[in-house]
Amino acid sequence: MKFTLKYIFSLCFLLCSLLVTSQKTEVKDTTAIKKDSIKPKTERYGLRLGIDLFKVARTFYDKNYKGLELVGDFKFTRKHYLATEIGNENKTVADDQLNFTTKGTYFKVGFDYNSYENWLGMHNMVYVGMRYGVSSFSQTLNSYSIYYANNYFPKPIVTSGEKFDGLSAQWIEVIAGVKAEIFTNLYIGFSIRMNNLISNKAPENFDNLYIPGFNRTYGGNFGAGFNYSISYFVPLYKTVLKTKVKAKK
Amino acid sequence: MKKIFLLFLVTFALSSCEKDDICDASTSTTPRLVIEFYDNLIATPTLKNLTNMKAVANGMSDGIVFNNSLAITNPLRFVTNSSKIYLPLDPSTNISTYALTNNFGSSTANEDVVTFNYTKNKVYVSRACGYKYLFNLTNTNTNILLADTNNWIKNILLVKPNLETENEVHIKIYF
Repeated sequence: MKFTLKYIFSLCFLLCSLLVTSQKTEVKDTTAIKKDSIKPKTERYGLRLGIDLFKVARTFYDKNYKGLELVGDFKFTRKHYLATEIGNENKTVADDQLNFTTKGTYFKVGFDYNSYENWLGMHNMVYVGMRYGVSSFSQTLNSYSIYYANNYFPKPIVTSGEKFDGLSAQWIEVIAGVKAEIFTNLYIGFSIRMNNLISNKAPENFDNLYIPGFNRTYGGNFGAGFNYSISYFVPLYKTVLKTKVKAKK
Repeated sequence: MKKIFLLFLVTFALSSCEKDDICDASTSTTPRLVIEFYDNLIATPTLKNLTNMKAVANGMSDGIVFNNSLAITNPLRFVTNSSKIYLPLDPSTNISTYALTNNFGSSTANEDVVTFNYTKNKVYVSRACGYKYLFNLTNTNTNILLADTNNWIKNILLVKPNLETENEVHIKIYF
């Protein structure tokens, strides 16, 4: 499982790099010579706000899941974006031995580095990034069955309802993703994430098998996730680009 | 754009990888009651083998399977000639009663009834295994065996009332 995810993750990295090489365009600055007739080039900076479509969709089709994630990024250099996700999840997991519900809120903050050379004024992205994530949540053990390797007696399924409050976790995410403008200022994006727990406050006599924002845990610190976002770019200000001609003088 | 859809496919591949956990057999889960049988006639503790001993819990039609390799129809599947047996305790209640018949199937067959009272403590194991019970026997040495006119069991010693693993002996029976 862990290796499958790692494989998929690296596959996506590879796909992204293909995108870079195939769509790389060079901004031609030959026009800059005729200074007088052409407006100075400007770069727009602003805030891109959106939601994770997958979580919204899943809320409708999966009766064991309710979730919402708001995403935002802010371009602060030509290549770097300050990025954040904030979300809330309510997920019930019905495994063979355990049935539990995790409820909680999470917050992620970090940066994205855009490796895609955009045409002027566009904000398409093929990016890698990192996030620091923190989640505060509770677990409710709905029911459990007693594991008995011996089959002589029927195994009871015990209805519990025991609630574990005040749980938390922190982790680091490494991200690879794309964002593309589909209509003016409207973007869709997809990212996949590899997570690594750095702290995990688990309940006594139970475990954090699901952490909002981090997703399923696998016994160790490893985790994985993805999001599929739709977002709107709100331009805030413009800066005049220094052309290469000017730079030479 | 087409490449974005490729990434979509990956998404669905990801979401389908979930249930892959099976409780590993080597994991320490709910322990059974471990009983060792000793010779009552020798002063120094000496293990003594049973003779075709059958163990049936109260309310159950079949006995405990001692020889898993034998066919289900073979009556020898349910008897043991060992000096050590493992009896599961009923996890649904706080009492398990077993009829232990030594020399089962022969004319000298003798049935003794033992009753185990216990409390249960649930302990989290893992996602795949869920919870296990750790039992704590509340019996004393003298109230396990039901006295009858001809007990084949002579004496019972409660060695370790709290069951934690199956790598320990909880009860010693002298016969």
